[in-house]
Amino acid sequence: MATHALTPAVTAGYRGGLYEWLTTTDHKRIGILYVINSFAFFFIAGLMALAVRAELAQPGLQLLTDEHLYNQLFTMHATLMIFLFIIPMLAGLGNFAVPLQIGAPDMAFPRINALSFWMLPLAGVLLLAGFVTGGAAAAGWTSYPPLTEDRPLASTGSGQDLWIVGVVLIGTSSILGAINFLVTIFKMRAPGMTLFRMPIMVWTMLVTSVLVMLATPVITSALIMLFIDRNLGGNFFDPATGGNAVLYQNVFWFYSHPAVYVMVLPAMGIISEVLPVFSRKPLFGYKAFVFATAGIGALGFSVWAHHMFTTGAVFLPFFALITFMISVPTGVKMFNWVATLWGGQLTFSTPLIFAIGFLTMFLIGGINGAFSAAVPVDFALHDTYWVVAHLHYVLFGGSVFGVFAGVYYWFPKMTGRLLDEGLGKIHFVLMFVGFNLTFFPMHMLGLAGMPRRIADYASSAGWNDWNLAATIGGFMIGASFVPFLWNVFVSLRNGKVAGDDPWEGNTLEWATSSPPPPYNFDHLPEIRSERPVFDLRHGREAGGSH
Amino acid sequence: MSTSPRQRPSLDVVLAGAAVVGLVVIVVAVLLSQAGKTLYPPAAATDSAIEIRKLYDIVFAFAVAIFLLVEGLIVWSVIRYRRKPTDTELPVQTHGHNLLEVTWTVIPTIIVIILFVFSFNTLNVVDAVSPTPDVKIRAVAAQFQWTFEYLDSSGQKLFTQTVSTKDNGGGMAVPVGRKIQVELHSNDVIHAFYVPRFLFKRDVVPGMTNRFDFTVNADEAGQTFRGQCAELCGTGHRIMLLDVVAMTQADYDAWVEQMIAQANATPAPQPSGEPSVTLELTAKIAEFDKHELEAPADKPFAITLDNQDVPAIEHDVDIHDADGNVVFDEPHTVGGTSQTYLYGPLPAGTYTFICSVHPFPAMTGTLTVK
Repeated sequence: MATHALTPAVTAGYRGGLYEWLTTTDHKRIGILYVINSFAFFFIAGLMALAVRAELAQPGLQLLTDEHLYNQLFTMHATLMIFLFIIPMLAGLGNFAVPLQIGAPDMAFPRINALSFWMLPLAGVLLLAGFVTGGAAAAGWTSYPPLTEDRPLASTGSGQDLWIVGVVLIGTSSILGAINFLVTIFKMRAPGMTLFRMPIMVWTMLVTSVLVMLATPVITSALIMLFIDRNLGGNFFDPATGGNAVLYQNVFWFYSHPAVYVMVLPAMGIISEVLPVFSRKPLFGYKAFVFATAGIGALGFSVWAHHMFTTGAVFLPFFALITFMISVPTGVKMFNWVATLWGGQLTFSTPLIFAIGFLTMFLIGGINGAFSAAVPVDFALHDTYWVVAHLHYVLFGGSVFGVFAGVYYWFPKMTGRLLDEGLGKIHFVLMFVGFNLTFFPMHMLGLAGMPRRIADYASSAGWNDWNLAATIGGFMIGASFVPFLWNVFVSLRNGKVAGDDPWEGNTLEWATSSPPPPYNFDHLPEIRSERPVFDLRHGREAGGSH
Repeated sequence: MSTSPRQRPSLDVVLAGAAVVGLVVIVVAVLLSQAGKTLYPPAAATDSAIEIRKLYDIVFAFAVAIFLLVEGLIVWSVIRYRRKPTDTELPVQTHGHNLLEVTWTVIPTIIVIILFVFSFNTLNVVDAVSPTPDVKIRAVAAQFQWTFEYLDSSGQKLFTQTVSTKDNGGGMAVPVGRKIQVELHSNDVIHAFYVPRFLFKRDVVPGMTNRFDFTVNADEAGQTFRGQCAELCGTGHRIMLLDVVAMTQADYDAWVEQMIAQANATPAPQPSGEPSVTLELTAKIAEFDKHELEAPADKPFAITLDNQDVPAIEHDVDIHDADGNVVFDEPHTVGGTSQTYLYGPLPAGTYTFICSVHPFPAMTGTLTVK
């Protein structure tokens, strides 16, 4: 296999014009389409965040004097980041990696796979169309009624309806994708690939898919009820007509809390691929890791109301206890990762650097979450910038650093070319410093009483300095994508040829060419452990026993 | 084996150790410095806030300890275990360690149960609602203003404080050292009553009544605590400010007496004289259709406000002078109705007309009097 990677073959796997890309049912191409589409929305949503940060740099309204537009921007920033960047980006990386990692030729349902993908750009266009139809959704990504039913002061135009339709469409895409992953993982594993020999990435996609399949229909029903309320005279959520405003929050968070794990578990999976490879050791505590993943998935369904502690309509002790408990399996994973590094031989290629960025930032995102689990402390912190700090340490410090670890790790497998290490490291340093400069001060802003979702604040409030710091950091994050995009551009043309296995990988995708042929494998190595390619390289004995 | 830890150059160990010590020193130095204070909530102003602050300090101590432990391990590993040119053979292939894994499952479980017990105890204190508070106030939240109805012990309204901030001569006055009960009420969307120095917020949910108690510390008499709506409630969310004004019992009693007297007084007479001109102004989706108006100097004039919003949304047209002082403060017009406001003669100059319910740019304009 190793001799197969001659230069001319590098892009052979993806020859063909636009038409072939648009009609492809190959999981690898669909995975790449997911990645490209997700990055496009990432940059749109990122620009929205920069507009918000620019406005908040100083007290006074300078840039977004139309505050309704400001509300649209932060609403759409979160909506696009969650529903059209992080979730589909991880689904896309999973789409690319999972069939390869279990030695399958494709996903179980290739056409449904293509359908799931193509719903996303359509949904994105619907969401953004609000901006030209009288105002996009502006009631926050949570879209709480009765505010969302209040046309004069929150949701003018059809933006909120477009938002509902767009998010329902994305939910449908997710459900189709989840079923596809589950069937693929359960029915299409190569001989010898038992459940407990599956790469952790595959395990996390499995648990993620279960979460998506069980939780997404719930938010879909909430959104349909909201649509009926708005357009057909329903009265589910508006107390003025006999509805219950908190009901929506229960149903919304019943999905949206598990959705946090949908956004984090696959990133944990990526990290669990990268750390062993670049420290030349197996993942420490493989089975504990699998059980911790399943544990997070199960407990993840019983913590939704911790988003609602201040509503006065929550059975507080139960949700506080389960919220504290869910940090235990997360902590187990953290220790497993550190123990994987411990005693290893670490090569600081860009994927490992981003993976370590994930460890350090996700650690903070886990710890500052414990403050909100302590209900009375949450009474102080809820809906302040503290929460903005917390969620970004989880979803940016965690998921997005994980995503980039995955992009740098699999780019050579996707394209046959390595990304440039120097540019990759510049990208990391800018993003890491910018990230902390943006989001760490938000802890202080939240403690000092700055609420979320405001366009302006009094200069006497004492929030000026940290806001300015956060804005500078935000633009640093924005700047960090210049070296990244340049890296992708030059590496696709002139990057170092990757070969089959540039990192000395452990899992099956490194046993085929880069990029792999349409059917993925000419032949598979024997699968005797969770590291078949390691076994092939070093011999089964070298791997040590469990 | 070159991978045996004993044969590694000890420089790695020294460097890694120094980095871990450096991390601890930096974190501790920051915590002890002036900047470290910003990692704590502001000074607690109420009995509940003091309890919440105690809990915060406990969680914070655990947080710092766990951060230093795990971050220290990461920093140590990253520096100590760099791959060196001599590392040609594989390191020891450790797949796990049962005792270690049980340990780092059990100890965190114990820690979170401890944290839960602490928070549960604090919660019971903070969430307690007295059947016999000393003062009962119904805070009514509406897009985008707070009003405070002071109730007697039987729940009857004594008077209403319609001005929510001290800058405008209002605020929610409370006596220090007394148990205050706030009952939260909303007619439109969800708001949240939040005062940072109380370390507390509670949602104001239409269709349900939330209550909470607090007692302002005795040494806070004379202080004003700024608060604001903390749940996104529409375009004017950020202007929904409120002040809690802490008073001594004597000052408070005098204030209450004055407010009751005001409530019983007959309203001030409308400016007399026929208006020289009647201007038309329409409010729709919380926006005035005109942002420039002209009126003659030294003559009474009128503005007819046509409020085309839904009934829950009220507007008015107040007039401020160039220094921002309120010249005319008019009553509200509910949505779907119109009202003609009469204004007395004004000297020539430039004024601002503004909706006091929604004082943002869309509902502000320039009145030129000449």
